[in-house]
Amino acid sequence: MPLRLAIRIAHSFGVLSRLLRQGSGVMVGGRILLKLVPDAVHKLSKNRKVVLISGTNGKSTTTALIAQALSTKSLVASNSTGANLFAGLAFALSQNTSAPVAVLEVDEMVVPWAIAQTNPHLVVLLNLGRDQLDRLSEVRVVAQKWREVLRNLPASCAVLADADDPFVAWASMASVNVIWFTSGVHGHMDASTCPECGDILNWQNEGASYSCNCGFKKPNPEWILRGNTLLGPRNREIKITSAIPGKAALSNAARAVVASQYFGVDGDAAAKTISLITSVDGRFGALQIGQTKFRLMLSKNPASWRETLATSAEGPLNVLLFVNANTQDGKDTSWMWDVDFSPLQGRSVFVTGDRRLDLSARLTVSGINHRVVSNQLAASTTIGACDADLIASYTAFHRLAKGVKKS
Amino acid sequence: MTLTLVHLLPELLGTYGDRGNVEIASWRLRERGIKHDVLTVGIGDSIPTTADLYFLGGGEDDAQIKACQIVGTSLAKAVNNGAHVFAVCAGFQLLGTTFPASGGRTVEGLGIVPIETVSAKTRSVGEILSKPSIPIATLTGFENHAGQTRFLDELQPLGVVTNGIGNGLDTNIDGLVTEQIVGTYMHGPALARNPELADWILSRVIGDLVPLRAEVFNELHNERVNSVK
Ligand SMILES: [Zn+2]
Repeated sequence: MPLRLAIRIAHSFGVLSRLLRQGSGVMVGGRILLKLVPDAVHKLSKNRKVVLISGTNGKSTTTALIAQALSTKSLVASNSTGANLFAGLAFALSQNTSAPVAVLEVDEMVVPWAIAQTNPHLVVLLNLGRDQLDRLSEVRVVAQKWREVLRNLPASCAVLADADDPFVAWASMASVNVIWFTSGVHGHMDASTCPECGDILNWQNEGASYSCNCGFKKPNPEWILRGNTLLGPRNREIKITSAIPGKAALSNAARAVVASQYFGVDGDAAAKTISLITSVDGRFGALQIGQTKFRLMLSKNPASWRETLATSAEGPLNVLLFVNANTQDGKDTSWMWDVDFSPLQGRSVFVTGDRRLDLSARLTVSGINHRVVSNQLAASTTIGACDADLIASYTAFHRLAKGVKKS
Repeated sequence: MTLTLVHLLPELLGTYGDRGNVEIASWRLRERGIKHDVLTVGIGDSIPTTADLYFLGGGEDDAQIKACQIVGTSLAKAVNNGAHVFAVCAGFQLLGTTFPASGGRTVEGLGIVPIETVSAKTRSVGEILSKPSIPIATLTGFENHAGQTRFLDELQPLGVVTNGIGNGLDTNIDGLVTEQIVGTYMHGPALARNPELADWILSRVIGDLVPLRAEVFNELHNERVNSVK
């Protein structure tokens, strides 16, 4: 079937699905498109510059930042709803066929397929950490898959890779054209052993660097984020600021600047554009429930909880934690015991969600006073007309994000 | 005399929130005013052989092999000295004679109990429920393992599995109990979801315990058991 016709059919089904309130139409449309034209992603990527973004944490935000920066120069196609599997990529590419640039967030396991289909100009790899172990593979398995596909990447495709993460580093070393980035992240909870040989990985300088007897070691980064300054080749210095709070947001902004430069957008201009973005897909958005104004945050694995709790610690006194364990959250809640909840100490803490008892047990052992509530409304009734943070796991977050006011 | 709990190699054996078991044991002692130390043994630290209760958690292949090399004979010595052990998943497998590793390899374990672990075709993932062989309430946990474990001698399982896989190999049992050792495939962590198991293990180490009022753990236990039934 001709691609144009297939796209038209897929889009009509997408619209129908929206009208019937079956969803955004992205998944349905994308699936139908791939059914009718199995190599649609390949065809739709031709004559376009594609950037793929993947990693355990920060891919939606980084994708949005890069898309925004590049859109100052040209039309951009992007999967801004976060649909990052096969159908999501197909649909994103089919929506804006005249855009010469595509910025695509890709699920970690879909990276090999996405690279083969899109023949990308740039691949941005953020980090790899434990996440939903009941559903996804162990970190090492993902790194191995990445390494295999990166090994065969042509030199025309660059990989912007995080040197702080031993798994990302190991996978990316296999490719010929790597731009190494560091934001000074210390240590890695899944990297006690070497990804190359399995021996103990030696962590030096309080976790700032790593090396192994087999020769594997942290690569020298050419882009370094230090505080708010991004230092690059030829003494380049770019000021990085972010309206999105937190350390991770700042490193995502810095990566987005490096990626934009690679696409020919001036670094300072990109940094300016990026600095103004306040919320991506509901993250850090304002959510009014009863009299309480919540700031909505997403946390889905130990690394992202650590980051979110640190960011939230500088926020309001009241905080509501909302944890489910549906398929998309991961059905195993044991990760809770890998999170240090001590930043909650002294705050007014509420817990809810399907797995509020797991969380309550966890907080009890850490000596953190908290109240278990039946839902967010019950929390709001107690909190009243105050500001509060609401940290939610994946399914809760996405349900609540629908109520976030678009600014 | 102060009780000493040892958390063995959490960087290598701690994939599934296993540190929770140590924290819960310590918390239950603390709530009762029982003096104790928690000693976390990291890579490169020497492993004591005279402590009272040792905890081993789950881990990936490479980490499991490394942990096995590092522990060497020290845990067997500790057991000979009268120590108790609570071992979960990869930690449970380690206690046996052999366990499988990537590439079809078979690795020699610590040889403390007569069990062997072999690799299974499919991974066992999900809620696990078992009827315990010791006088405590139904056991609940979450399992996620590729290996399945066989007894090489007559041994007492920790429980008879009513939901999930456990030791596998069509045995319908999970884990193992000896005079000093409790092994299981339940993480979750197991001692958070099973307060009676936590107290049963602790009372084997220090004798009778006064009851503890800690409703949240009982509620969690009931909720998890009922979620599967
Ligand atoms: Zn090595």
